[in-house]
Amino acid sequence: MSQDLIELLVKSLWETTYMVAASSLLATLFGIPLGVILVVTDKGHILENLPFNRVLGIIVNATRSTPFIILMVAIIPLTRIIAGTSIGTNAAIVPLTIAAAPFLARVVETAIKEVDFGVVEAAKAMGASPREIIAKVLLPEAMPSIVLGVTLTIISLIGYSAMAGTIGGGGLGDLAIRYGYQRFRADIMIITVLILIAQVQIVQSLGDYLAGRLNKK
Amino acid sequence: MIELTGIEKVYNDRSSSTHALKGVDLTVRQGEIYGIIGKSGAGKSTLIRCINMLEQPTKGTVIVDGNDLTTMPDNKLREIRKKIGMIFQHFNLLSTRTVAQNIAFPLELAGINKQEIEKRVSNLLDLVGLADKKDQYPAQLSGGQKQRVGIARALANQPKVLLCDEATSALDPQTTKSILELLKTINQKFALTIVLITHEMQVIKEICDKVAVIEDGVIIEQGTVIDVFTRPEAPTTRDFIRNIINHDLPDMFNKTTFLSEPTADSNLVVRLSFIGNSAEEPIISSMIRRFNIDASILYANIDHIQNTPFGTLLLELSGEQGAQQNALTYLNAQELGIEVIGYVTRFNRAVG
Repeated sequence: MSQDLIELLVKSLWETTYMVAASSLLATLFGIPLGVILVVTDKGHILENLPFNRVLGIIVNATRSTPFIILMVAIIPLTRIIAGTSIGTNAAIVPLTIAAAPFLARVVETAIKEVDFGVVEAAKAMGASPREIIAKVLLPEAMPSIVLGVTLTIISLIGYSAMAGTIGGGGLGDLAIRYGYQRFRADIMIITVLILIAQVQIVQSLGDYLAGRLNKK
Repeated sequence: MIELTGIEKVYNDRSSSTHALKGVDLTVRQGEIYGIIGKSGAGKSTLIRCINMLEQPTKGTVIVDGNDLTTMPDNKLREIRKKIGMIFQHFNLLSTRTVAQNIAFPLELAGINKQEIEKRVSNLLDLVGLADKKDQYPAQLSGGQKQRVGIARALANQPKVLLCDEATSALDPQTTKSILELLKTINQKFALTIVLITHEMQVIKEICDKVAVIEDGVIIEQGTVIDVFTRPEAPTTRDFIRNIINHDLPDMFNKTTFLSEPTADSNLVVRLSFIGNSAEEPIISSMIRRFNIDASILYANIDHIQNTPFGTLLLELSGEQGAQQNALTYLNAQELGIEVIGYVTRFNRAVG
């Protein structure tokens, strides 16, 4: 394999890693609070606010039901406002985050709903405020499941990032399409696929390990 | 210490509304162990949750230690709740915290500093006998141990009141006994007021001073445990007590017809109940000697309600009609509970 191709691979690997890492971080930052809000504003919970909950649920669902490639193109004006450009790796982070945050929010919502409500009640009986219940009860108790949810989100993002080539985001997926597919370079196709598989494996193993460490049940 | 007045609770659902509590008045004095017993769905769980406002009553007032909780703003209510401990049927421990960290939880909420927390937690661990388990997680503990953690956690902020929501219902009889003993110890040691709800009369009998029987959202009977056990009035109360003290006639009397008036050759069947010291006096033997009658014991049972002996005796008296009546008058004059079941003809005698 020529020096050029190796450089291309390294560059693409970096682009994928950068896009996925940045959007995972941002998605976690927005997704976890969003998930918490979805739970605590639901019926009978500590900050019940049904109209708000319903509206938020609809927005989350709308985002989640739009296929990523369409979402990415559809929000180009928004991407331009946020990232200053609608083309390139940084620009790709915006749609990746917007697609992943609601996904993670639903995963976090499910994880927190699995926490026995009796524990919340016990904390209330001890005089805990809603903020304390979220920070000291709901999040720690749901943490093993949340970690698995973040893992799942990162893996989805690795998949989504393959489509980032559409708006010039680069990355391994883009490399595989442009060289492996369009230029019939089977070797590049195989290498990129192997690297993607390895990435997913590493992320999944790390996630499983961390969740296992946190789980005391 | 606790005063509930006219508590009503209505749950409104989309289509129907449920009247869970229909005007409950309850007074619990400082240092008492007050038991509330009822079948499932009677409203007892809702009632105990009204005491610390986990359930907001639809009507009525809740006063704990002089504070009216029903009109209190949230932040003040949270401060009051720190002085009302609560334990639960399913323990409700935090699974990601160790035993010691679970007990420390309410202290963290109260903003107590680290050294003080450590000191108090270690005392509490000793109190509930779990010092060697302090670094284990709840999943590694047995049910009884989990409830001990629950109790230690509930006591951490030195509360004035402890609420027990079916605290022993998920435990086996042996463990139940040890948890009840622990509650009794705590009650005596700290003069802690305890309110507990249960569906088991055994729990009431074991540790309560007072009892209220709740049915269909209303308290149908209340009083000291001795009074309610020896003179239950409502059918539901009798139902509950039946497992502990038998107020029914033995099965062999099912076919016997009891007459309300004596006949020439009838025997008198009476039930006597002895409470406290009268259980120790030789009333029966002196009756037999004085009135020259015979007494057959059809059923007898002596039990202790905490430290008070309590006995039931079903007697069939035979002899002259006049002597029987004299004996009855004599028995009525004694300090014991007496109930005339009826007269049986000698031909119909159940025993003999």
